[in-house]
Amino acid sequence: MATLGELERALMERLWSAPEPVAATTLRDELAERDVALTTVHTVLTRLQHKGFVVHDEGRPRRFRPRASREDHAAELMHEVLGQSADRQAVLARFVGSVNPDEARLLRELLAAADDAAPR
Amino acid sequence: MLPASAASLAVLAVLLAWPVPALLARAGWTRRDPLVALVCWQAIGLAGGLSMIAALLVHGLAPWGHSLPEAAWALVTGHLAGDPVRGDHWVALILAVVLATELLGVLVLSGVRTARTRRRHRALLELVVQPSAELPDTRLLEHPAPVAFCIPGARPLLVLSSGMVAELDEAQLAAVVAHERAHLSEHHHLLLLPFVAWEAALPVLPAAARAHVAVRDLVEMRADDVALRSLADGTGGTAPRRTLAQAIVAAAEGTGGVAVPGGALAVAGSAVRARVVRLLEPPSPLPAAARWTALAAAGLLLALPTALLVLPAV
Repeated sequence: MATLGELERALMERLWSAPEPVAATTLRDELAERDVALTTVHTVLTRLQHKGFVVHDEGRPRRFRPRASREDHAAELMHEVLGQSADRQAVLARFVGSVNPDEARLLRELLAAADDAAPR
Repeated sequence: MLPASAASLAVLAVLLAWPVPALLARAGWTRRDPLVALVCWQAIGLAGGLSMIAALLVHGLAPWGHSLPEAAWALVTGHLAGDPVRGDHWVALILAVVLATELLGVLVLSGVRTARTRRRHRALLELVVQPSAELPDTRLLEHPAPVAFCIPGARPLLVLSSGMVAELDEAQLAAVVAHERAHLSEHHHLLLLPFVAWEAALPVLPAAARAHVAVRDLVEMRADDVALRSLADGTGGTAPRRTLAQAIVAAAEGTGGVAVPGGALAVAGSAVRARVVRLLEPPSPLPAAARWTALAAAGLLLALPTALLVLPAV
């Protein structure tokens, strides 16, 4: 049983790799191995639209495409989650912030000095 | 006459707004025991806000009674004030209400805004991260920069970039994951929330910004400590301290080269250095007596304004 999150990811993969907008029935057929009902495909597409990741045209049947390419999505993600505009509080738990090259060299030296002091 | 309680509360508020945070931010012992230091910071934040509001409240309510419960009851039940009510009493009361509303309002707003940002981040991430096969509860993000982070919340997300996985060996990765997991399990985002909010609420107060930075650094040190403990439990023989230090240096270094939109994070330099030094040359732990003194001081800080607020004014 696939979770909605997994289905969202699978659908986005299809939409990203498709050369042109895709209808929901096509997506259902492509996901046949997951045994997904058409209503489920529509549910997932609606969720993705609400989140602003998918748009559809006004044709009949409606055809869906990603709002941004995979590359743009990744760039947007890095910018929003870790970038300068990022809400510091939301990503407080980043492991290490970036440091400038001088600082990085200094850190390297600290580590090397400790290794010399206590060789293993 | 300004009751002595109001005056003492005002003095306490001033002390907690400037000299006390300045002293604690400079204190060397905090890196020996980040947890106790974090407790002290929470006490300072809470007691500072409380004494500011309490000073105004005690002064403003003075004409109605000799203790806050008595005066508040008199005001609510519509009893006339025993002493003449002057303009400054009303001003103090209004300021107390405004300040209390602002501090609490900003706290709530900040919490709501952060929760919304986290939801957005999680939505962006969930489309592209893959569950890791080796590391439980960890997602992999295809990106060349070595980054690791977690998004706290009801459904926390712990993310490692492919750059991080490529850069670090197995033990180092385990150290990184243990560090992030410590943030999540100890709810460090909640410890930071009031300081983020109060920095926004009181931008004129330099201590608010200082406190935020100090708490952020302490939270990282605390997560390092917790990570070390869990690593020592698991792998035993290897030197987890050095492993974690290596992971920190590798991550900090790599980020400088690859185009991660670093920006504001670049100022983290000295804090990263402090973490590495602390791992490589561990300071001796705080003696039990000092620990308990600090904790007792934190408790006293909270008890003092509460007592001054509730007990009859002198």
